[in-house]
Amino acid sequence: MRPFLKWTVAVVLLLLVAAFAVLSFIAGSPKDAYGMVRYALPHMHRGTLKPGDDAPDARLVMLDGVGSFHLRERTAGRPLVLVFGSFT
Amino acid sequence: MGDVISLYNDYKDHADFLTIYVREAHPTDEWQMKTNVKEDVCYAQPKNLAGRVAIANDFIKRFRYPVPFGIDDMSNAANDAYAAWPERLYVIDESGHIAYRGGMGPFHYNPKELRAWLSARYGEVNHEEKPAEQPQGQSSQPEKKS
Repeated sequence: MRPFLKWTVAVVLLLLVAAFAVLSFIAGSPKDAYGMVRYALPHMHRGTLKPGDDAPDARLVMLDGVGSFHLRERTAGRPLVLVFGSFT
Repeated sequence: MGDVISLYNDYKDHADFLTIYVREAHPTDEWQMKTNVKEDVCYAQPKNLAGRVAIANDFIKRFRYPVPFGIDDMSNAANDAYAAWPERLYVIDESGHIAYRGGMGPFHYNPKELRAWLSARYGEVNHEEKPAEQPQGQSSQPEKKS
């Protein structure tokens, strides 16, 4: 292997290790850093909606698991505050 | 959670509220947090709608959660449309347009900013917290209404 290539590989590996170390510090532990990269980042999106845009509609299921309604059915007359989240 | 319930209790006479349950953020089979174990909030990521409905009902019972509730179905349509995961706040105005877009959770999830937005529009409502800061950045400035 050429010396230049060796150094390039070594520097890249070093940067990756350093990045993972920083992420581990931010996340709390190496396990959390892995969890963040593996499970969180692929699902986190800033999105393109902005104030003034038409609010998208979506079908939502009721707590009985049977009934459903459309989000936009709830927007007639008054502002609608949307709170997205989960239990965990 | 308390912040949202407080917002709901303070402003439900002025605006409608809707909580939308989306896919779990820290399930046992993905990125589980120590706090979830400590607080006994341990669920695997639901693989079907019945699983989501069951967790949503557990949530409602545990917190006696008073805010109207809907569940994103397994297509994750609401989540995708609003880039909502893991948590996010929006306001849709009377004409069906986005009036306020909160930041992406968890780091930019900010109920206090939403409170400031509602307060600017409807006036401060008595609540337990200290007065919130003015909203910045991502929201349009609402017209104050009485």
